[in-house]
Amino acid sequence: MNAIELSHVNKSFGDFAIQDLSLTVPGGTIYGLVGENGAGKSTTIRLIMNALRPDSGTVRVLGTDASSPEFLAVKDDIGVVLDEAYFPEVLNVDQVGRIMAKTYRRWDPAKYGTYLDRFQLPEKRQFKDFSRGMKMKLAIAVALSHDPKLLILDEATAGLDPIVRDEILNIFFSEFARDEEHSILISSHILSDLEKLCDYIAFLHQGRLLFCDEKDRLLEAYGIFTGTVEQADSLRPEAVVYREDGSYGGVRALVRRVEVPAGFLLERATIEDIILFTVKGAK
Amino acid sequence: MKALLLKDTCVIWKQMKYFLFLIVIFSAIPSAFNNIFAIVYAAMLPYTAMAYDERSKWDQLAAMMPYSARDLVLSKYVFGWLCIAGATVISVPIQCAVSLLGVNGGFSLTTVLLSVCCGLGIMSISLPLLFRFGVEKGRLTMFLIIFLVCGGAGAISTIAVSAPEGYSSMAFRQVVLPAAVAAAAVLTAVSVPLSVKFYSRRES
Repeated sequence: MNAIELSHVNKSFGDFAIQDLSLTVPGGTIYGLVGENGAGKSTTIRLIMNALRPDSGTVRVLGTDASSPEFLAVKDDIGVVLDEAYFPEVLNVDQVGRIMAKTYRRWDPAKYGTYLDRFQLPEKRQFKDFSRGMKMKLAIAVALSHDPKLLILDEATAGLDPIVRDEILNIFFSEFARDEEHSILISSHILSDLEKLCDYIAFLHQGRLLFCDEKDRLLEAYGIFTGTVEQADSLRPEAVVYREDGSYGGVRALVRRVEVPAGFLLERATIEDIILFTVKGAK
Repeated sequence: MKALLLKDTCVIWKQMKYFLFLIVIFSAIPSAFNNIFAIVYAAMLPYTAMAYDERSKWDQLAAMMPYSARDLVLSKYVFGWLCIAGATVISVPIQCAVSLLGVNGGFSLTTVLLSVCCGLGIMSISLPLLFRFGVEKGRLTMFLIIFLVCGGAGAISTIAVSAPEGYSSMAFRQVVLPAAVAAAAVLTAVSVPLSVKFYSRRES
């Protein structure tokens, strides 16, 4: 079963619109959603969680139509960590735990307690007195303590120091994702993290999906050509996604490996290269 | 629903402690106005809870959790109703005890019932506006609430003082009170679905 299916989703806000967005997150995979600020990543996540209703198109999550009344029960199976924790600032972790115990049917207080100990979150300190790292750790503890099948992370690691980020990513990917039935949709700016961890990469640009594919296939399909202008000119137009002409006569280009004749030496393209060149090409 | 009520209680617990203290103080003073003010003030507590929600952007997180728009809205009403009920339950026995001591400041059960209706009416008018415009933009609503609280308490206490002795007048009991109960019921019945509609529209 697919964890998430968006089919021809449109949502307009006047000056910005999600346009004909279709993507599928297969069950048991880690799916990276990439895009610049304002590309529509958070909007997409809000559409997935039915916090926004699409103008047209359908959204299905864990096999259920997100606009149906049944979806409310499905939310029990979804753990969400947003870019901020958004808990009322006067609450402490003990109160948050008691509230969540009445929110989620499968809330596991023992697991929550284990995460609190592991993250060294003080029980009685108010949320407003937490550092950003502590706030995000609390949000993650909540998201993981009700036995979710799907984790949705919206810039959940942005602004965290590298040590905390590494610790948190380790929980997501080494512990949660170990279960074959568990899926993760993660939106992030930190492309190196996504390249390291994701099975699939989707790239949103100005509300449109520019590409969406298996990460390994993307890395195999594209390469970086570095050479002279003459060599670059000899390439077929279909081979070049985008080329940058340097000031000293050199050319650097993202190319489709299958279209490049044998004999050309190509470097391995990173996900960051593919995204940057694709955006430039789209402009 | 229980989770949301617990959340609101935890969020404004500090305020509620002061509020309970105020109710006891107000109720112990033999005056119909003080008693009524305590009950009507209770109707304002959901406003405080909503202000905290808005400051922490709780709604964004709540939209990701298994709460329906109806639950999110209705919880604020239920919270307000419980606060009004709590204020009534605390203040009535104290007022009775004060009356038994021979000090009568105009207190009667009819007055209490009228003030409960007034509190329910205030909630029913103000909450849809707050759900429509949000707490920040709804500053004008705040003035409306203050006006309604003070005006409502003043009006009822005036009726209490000027009504026939002991409020035994048949007209007062058979006309004013049923009319107030009916008005509170109608306002509430209209207000809840309107708030749900406004909240859903704001979210989508």
